[in-house]
Amino acid sequence: MKNILVAGGGIGGTIVANRIAQKLGEEIRRGEVAVSVFDRSEHHYYQPGFLLVSMGVMEPEETSLPEREVLDRRVKLYSGDKGTVTKISVGDRQLTTADGSVYKYDVLVIATGSHIQMDEVPGFSQGAETFFSLEGAKKMLKAVQSFSGGNIVVDVALLPHKCPVAPLEITLMLDDYFRKKGIRDKVNIHYCYPIQGVFGIPNVNKMMLGLFESRGVNVHSQFTLASVDAANRKIVSKEGEELRYDLLVAVPPHKGAQVIADSGLGDRRNWVPTDKYTLRLKDHDDVYVMGDTTDIPISKAGSTADYESYTVAHNVAVDVKGDGSRKTYPGSVFCYIATGMDQATYIKFDYNNPPTPPTPSQIHWWGKLAYNKLYWSIHARTLI
Amino acid sequence: MSGLKVYKSIDATSSSCSGPIGELSGAMNDALPGECVEIVVGDQATRDDVRVWAAKTGNRVIVDREEQGKFRMVIEKVK
Repeated sequence: MKNILVAGGGIGGTIVANRIAQKLGEEIRRGEVAVSVFDRSEHHYYQPGFLLVSMGVMEPEETSLPEREVLDRRVKLYSGDKGTVTKISVGDRQLTTADGSVYKYDVLVIATGSHIQMDEVPGFSQGAETFFSLEGAKKMLKAVQSFSGGNIVVDVALLPHKCPVAPLEITLMLDDYFRKKGIRDKVNIHYCYPIQGVFGIPNVNKMMLGLFESRGVNVHSQFTLASVDAANRKIVSKEGEELRYDLLVAVPPHKGAQVIADSGLGDRRNWVPTDKYTLRLKDHDDVYVMGDTTDIPISKAGSTADYESYTVAHNVAVDVKGDGSRKTYPGSVFCYIATGMDQATYIKFDYNNPPTPPTPSQIHWWGKLAYNKLYWSIHARTLI
Repeated sequence: MSGLKVYKSIDATSSSCSGPIGELSGAMNDALPGECVEIVVGDQATRDDVRVWAAKTGNRVIVDREEQGKFRMVIEKVK
């Protein structure tokens, strides 16, 4: 019996486990292979939906399902303490869970994700609204709906973070929301970014700067968030700039999972060193790393994990069967970018081909909504 | 680069949502004063951006050379 263990049941871990089960269905049926997913939560969250929850476009309950319903029936699920991985020992080829159990693996996939750090920046959790958690998105929706005018500051604390286009999206959605509400003239929108410009890819940055200018969004960059003064409603940058807010919508710093640190596998931010083509843990041929977990400079996004899952699942099957040619990950990413409450564009790129976002349109908005709706039935269950 | 304490190496030759400067700034945030971050960029414009960013943030470029059509740079965190 060969054991394939997947640490993490988010988008990446779930999709790759389902693909592996499809590829090794016969071996599983014969009892030669077992595929198991470990996650603390019994629920699977579609985190890209939190942005839409925060603007009232999507209902909170649309963003989660029981993980058991999403996983292929041939995949075993461990949750709670049994699914909480506390130590990954690559030397001993085993992982340990919070109930003290030890599981040996033949192949391990690490998909433990990225996690928001609400207390890393002083005052952040007291002063900022954020849609990077479901509870945060629900709370932010109330703040947006009750906002009657003043300064809205959108801030990104630290790069990289998950859903890299989300700050652009929320800025343009807020602009459009208050235009449609008829009070845009009472709302000043400020966008603060820790590097020059508003986004890291040059032609996307150029397009978004043009959109921001035409929509009257004030850009503050380079603005590296140092602290939030919730009592006086202002933020301060490491560059020495102060900005007063009435509503602060901010992206908190992110880190990889604590188990990565506890296992000595990552850098100081718990990103795991990963080969950008093979998606293997560097210097280990029996451990794959995918999704937000890696240190690959690309995009911490659900679509990245989805694309990576094709490579990882294929190569895991090759590892187990002992024959076949391996695939490499070409760096594929696809993300819709909402540019208002009823229009969007998108970026599609890989390691060698930068994106060229099309002119925003309502068609792409509907594409974004459809992608979100179809996630549960198509993508998570790996029908394509 | 013997003698340099390189905290992290970044291959920034491919498209990245955070961009080379975003990846660099994130790594430098976690580096300790005196430690370095190594970054490889693919074009002269990005090389110039790294130089400007380092100067603006008070950090020091201590290696800056072309290697096989790419640019290898090492930036030391000063404070």
